[in-house]
Amino acid sequence: MISDFTYLKPGSAKEALKMLAEHQDDGKIICGGQSLLIIMRQGLVTPEYVIDIKKLKDLNYMTFDPKDGLKMGATTTHRTIEKSAMVKEKYPVLVEMEEKLASIQVRNWGTIGGNLAHADAAGDPAPVLMSMGGSVKVASASGERVISLDDFYTDLFETAMNHDEMIVEVIVPPRPAKSATKYQKFNLLDSDQGIVAVAATITLNGGGVCKDARIVLGNAASTTIRAKEAEKVLIGAKLDDAVFQKAGEAAAAECQPVADIHASEEYRRHLISILTKRMAKAAWEQAKISG
Amino acid sequence: MEKQLLRLNVNDQNYEIYINPKTLLVEAIRDHIELTGTKRGCDTVSCGACTVVVDDMAVKACSVLAVQAEGTKILTSEGLEVNGKLAPIQKAFLDEGAFQCGFCTSGMLMSSVAFLNETKKPTEKEIRDGIEGNICRCTGYNSIVRAIDSVAKGKYTEDKV
Amino acid sequence: MNKYTVINPHEPFKVINTHIHNVDGWAKVTGRAAYTFDIKLPGMLYGKILRSPHPHANIRGIDASKALALDGVKAVVTGKDTLGIKQGIWRRYKDLCDEQILPVDKVRYIGEPVAAVAATTEEIAEKALDLIEVDYEVLPAVFEPLDAIKKGAPEIHEGFERNINVTRHIEWGEVEEGFEEAEYIREDWFRCGGQAHMCMETRCAVSSYTPDKKLTIYHSNQSPYYMQGLMAGVLDMREGDIRVVAPYVGGGFGGKFELDGAIFCTAILSMKCYKPVKIVYTREEDFIASKRRTPMFYYTRTGVKKDGTFCAREAKVFTNGGAYTGMGATALYLTGFFHSFPYRWKGYRYDGYRVYTNTLPSTSMRGFGAPQAMWCSEQQIEWIAADLGLDPIEMRRKNSHQEGTILPGQATIASCGIDQCYDEITKWIKGKGKLPANRSIGISACGFMSGGIFNWFDSPYSFSSAVVTINQDGTVELHIGAQEIGQGSNTTMAIICAETLGVKVEDIKVHSGDTDHCPPDLGAWGSRQTLMTGNATKMASENAKKQLLEFAYAQSGLNIVYDLDIKDRWVHAIARPERGEDFVKLVRKALRGKDGQKIVGRGYYTPHRKGMISPAYSYMLQGVEVEVDEETGKITLMDSMTAHDCGQPINHLGLIGQLEGAFSMAAGYGYLEYMPYEDGKLMNPNLVDYKMIRAPEMPPANIAEIDTYEPEGPYGAKEAGEGLTNPTAAAIGNALFHRFGVQMKECPVRPEMVVNALKEKKEKEAAEKK
Ligand SMILES: Cc1cc2nc3c(=O)[nH]c(=O)nc-3n(C[C@H](O)[C@H](O)[C@H](O)COP(=O)(O)OP(=O)(O)OC[C@H]3O[C@@H](n4cnc5c(N)ncnc54)[C@H](O)[C@@H]3O)c2cc1C
Ligand code: FES
Ligand code: FES
Repeated sequence: MISDFTYLKPGSAKEALKMLAEHQDDGKIICGGQSLLIIMRQGLVTPEYVIDIKKLKDLNYMTFDPKDGLKMGATTTHRTIEKSAMVKEKYPVLVEMEEKLASIQVRNWGTIGGNLAHADAAGDPAPVLMSMGGSVKVASASGERVISLDDFYTDLFETAMNHDEMIVEVIVPPRPAKSATKYQKFNLLDSDQGIVAVAATITLNGGGVCKDARIVLGNAASTTIRAKEAEKVLIGAKLDDAVFQKAGEAAAAECQPVADIHASEEYRRHLISILTKRMAKAAWEQAKISG
Repeated sequence: MEKQLLRLNVNDQNYEIYINPKTLLVEAIRDHIELTGTKRGCDTVSCGACTVVVDDMAVKACSVLAVQAEGTKILTSEGLEVNGKLAPIQKAFLDEGAFQCGFCTSGMLMSSVAFLNETKKPTEKEIRDGIEGNICRCTGYNSIVRAIDSVAKGKYTEDKV
Repeated sequence: MNKYTVINPHEPFKVINTHIHNVDGWAKVTGRAAYTFDIKLPGMLYGKILRSPHPHANIRGIDASKALALDGVKAVVTGKDTLGIKQGIWRRYKDLCDEQILPVDKVRYIGEPVAAVAATTEEIAEKALDLIEVDYEVLPAVFEPLDAIKKGAPEIHEGFERNINVTRHIEWGEVEEGFEEAEYIREDWFRCGGQAHMCMETRCAVSSYTPDKKLTIYHSNQSPYYMQGLMAGVLDMREGDIRVVAPYVGGGFGGKFELDGAIFCTAILSMKCYKPVKIVYTREEDFIASKRRTPMFYYTRTGVKKDGTFCAREAKVFTNGGAYTGMGATALYLTGFFHSFPYRWKGYRYDGYRVYTNTLPSTSMRGFGAPQAMWCSEQQIEWIAADLGLDPIEMRRKNSHQEGTILPGQATIASCGIDQCYDEITKWIKGKGKLPANRSIGISACGFMSGGIFNWFDSPYSFSSAVVTINQDGTVELHIGAQEIGQGSNTTMAIICAETLGVKVEDIKVHSGDTDHCPPDLGAWGSRQTLMTGNATKMASENAKKQLLEFAYAQSGLNIVYDLDIKDRWVHAIARPERGEDFVKLVRKALRGKDGQKIVGRGYYTPHRKGMISPAYSYMLQGVEVEVDEETGKITLMDSMTAHDCGQPINHLGLIGQLEGAFSMAAGYGYLEYMPYEDGKLMNPNLVDYKMIRAPEMPPANIAEIDTYEPEGPYGAKEAGEGLTNPTAAAIGNALFHRFGVQMKECPVRPEMVVNALKEKKEKEAAEKK
């Protein structure tokens, strides 16, 4: 049973931040509520004030320019991203990821800001965005700062945000030339949360050598993590199956998955190795043909 | 907790109800407005039995606070039929036997309606993804997929008002 | 999307097997259908159940005073407020009546009810639960049957040595001789998991006890008559003083014909405060405290000749019975019986042991022990064919039941279409040509009963009854005790009634699901209603029709060599159909001649001299095309084909729905639906972690319907409700075997198990090379 709370409905982001400043210890932001209401029902969080930012127009936007890349207001829904022709053209992997994120109902109401803030290590957007070098702009009543997703996740369901801060924008840098990102989660049902997931971005130089690689693992530790050892295997290498295999093994070795009823720790490592190999290769193949 | 006034528009009808702000949309619809066609089948936003259409989007009514739906237009299974005339999707469900116990049916219909409005010529795969959020323990889904497909293919166009 | 073909169809009927909409359909597609879940009575209170956190403990005392003091709480009940009567659905066998729904002094599984509260709101009731103090003495517990039978294991029920709850021995023919004749013998151990019924409507009830000492109960169940009888037993009331109404029911699948905490606790709460009380299980409660498919350990040993002739089989089974008997005793019998299916053996022997453990009780679930039986049998048969280099389809075919096959002391097979099933599946496989490298096909055969013959409930009534009443305007009231739970029984009975009376389905109003107004019937289990209630309905309709035709004869003055009939509301001489009279007119005249009394036809059915199990058996063969990702072990179902003999199909849409629906449940049992326990605690009691087939996972479920004629069934019909829950898991296992040569002995087959099996196989092959 959800415990009682006072419902606050700010009219602007600024007002929301003021309320948040006031209730930073006993308040909670609700956006789509897709995750929050479940944990509230389980009694895991019991805020006294709930600040509803779902309908804030000033946080609901999507823009792209070749220099700054993609900017999405925090309340942009999953479905908006999925259906955006612009996103499909510039960042097709985001659309592919969104199409497999939960069901249409959840994507219709759930938001990108809420998803990233919820900090579930099994979330889909974080690995993909992190792999593309994404960041979030967080704001409080006293100012704004941009945090790279690399530094955003600190522990299980914990982020680098202070209690008076909220995500206002998600930023994805423009895609470099000869670069591609691929993402896959392993799950039992088509759009389930991943048992593990891997996002891989491969950037090639003119000679077809791997100039940069960012491998990000979902649900392979208490937070979304970079697989830096795997990246080392890839960067500077002339890519082939043997290298992908080695990268997979490196990722499997460096992750810290936790066993549960769906998969043992060993099996999770095995899956990480397979998916890393596959995604790195898929990204490479895509990067070769991309401008 | 003091109750607050909430105005909801459900099936083109305005309602005024007094609720605790923690009331979920599904509770407002079922317990306060007393439209019980919308069901609940889980506590984890997993089953889709509570699906309603909010501003043309399928949404799980157990995942939304009722207060968040203020100012929207909500459609439930009771709102599909007009003066005894069934909507195409309802007819298709009857023709294909796309329900058994019927407990998932309201939610399934609402997912289907929103899906059909959005997707004009769906592939079978798209239809299946379109109802992925709805569990049906009885039918095995294929009859539901056939029903949606037949509406999409225009089998009931002459019925459209 | 799906192909549906009919092999050798019978003569067309007017109504039977035509495209008839479900008679409850309009209510279900308009949101009007009200389930127990939706019922709200004036002054109704809301109940909640406090559940045991311990798998095994003595209850030393319960202090509910603080809960009672909470504003809004109207009643609290514990075992002490009950008569303490141990009940069970095997009423005839006292020692198998072992469950107090609110135990007086001991809990035996996590989630068992301990106390219940009624309050003005659900929220207050829930808060009150936290205020109830229970003093437990925690006892050592045991969770696995093979541990529970060990000497010195904790005793779960007094007087049951080694925790053995029920044993079952089945034997026929010459088993030893059969094994002696056998040229090849194979033995294997298997393990089959549990499965949740996962009805979309969780268990729920509303009970209302009134000052006239009558109890009215709305309850989501599969057999109002059983509920009435069981409740009368535990409350020491007369059955007739209890009315059980099962309105629209949101699924059953074998999980809703025993007493549950909702019905029992609402009743005693209501008896305490004379107010209607409603309890709805949360999804978690439904998972942890509403029983499940029986997990089993199977040992099976099979002897065959080199040419593939089956000789003998013996099986030994230990089932995880959980804390109480329930319907589990029947599952123990049926798994043993169907483990012989659908084959002829010189000798067959089965020994089953149902073992108590401190886990959720296991019970009947769609397929009733047969899915487990087939998981083991149909895989082992596939392996035997491979061991001997024989064609698995042809080997099955030559050993299969035929019309007239006798299973000594158990059953006689009156109709059997399995031979044609083999043809259809062979055709389907051939039609596929060469499969992509990552795909393979597995097949599996089986059969199932059309209703059980056993009367462990000790009912003095006929197993099924029906009453047909014809009104003056030609409309017809059909009263049946059969329970509609989504399987379409109301529609099926309306079809049988309309066909028999010669009227249209829209002329018929079906009344079911109310013990006050409907004749007793054992209800919806064991795929019994089409055959049994169908026979009763047909008899009642024939009886009413005969009364009408008596008048028609009298007034037409027709020579007795001519037959009269009614079709499409037209009463006519069969030889001269154009000569006749409107049905309604005849009804009016007949009424006048009957002192104004409505025409009432009665029908009933109880199987007699039909063996030990069932009056008739359905048959089927299924092929499933499976894709497996060799590296991750992920299984994807690509296609399926089922050749199916259910006698004469009655309800066309209903039949397809049953077959497709059963497939999804059966497939789930094969590779997804998994109930892991740790120290007696279910680890995934929610729909996030309990995985079921959803629309994207469901492959085409093609059907070839083989029409046979079953002499015992109404119009030749047999079951189609449960049988198809049986073959799929084994078919998936067999597909894996054909692809990789691995033998999966445990279901559900999860991807990690596939990866491990492949790894093991590689290691073994490497070791052998050395
Ligand atoms: C059935 C189901 C399946 C799902 N499957 C997936 C899946 O496969 N993959 C996946 O990635 N996700 C999945 N999710 C999770 C879902 O995508 C996200 O959690 C959801 O989109 C979160 O957005 P929201 O707007 O609903 O957040 P809310 O539930 O409103 O909020 C979530 C948390 O974030 C905080 N918060 C919200 N917005 C902000 C903000 N702007 N700044 C700071 N904090 C904020 C809230 O206080 C809360 O703690 C699933 C959810 C459900 C119910
Ligand atoms: S009730 Fe299950 S998703 Fe809403
Ligand atoms: S019809 Fe019963 S759950 Fe879908």
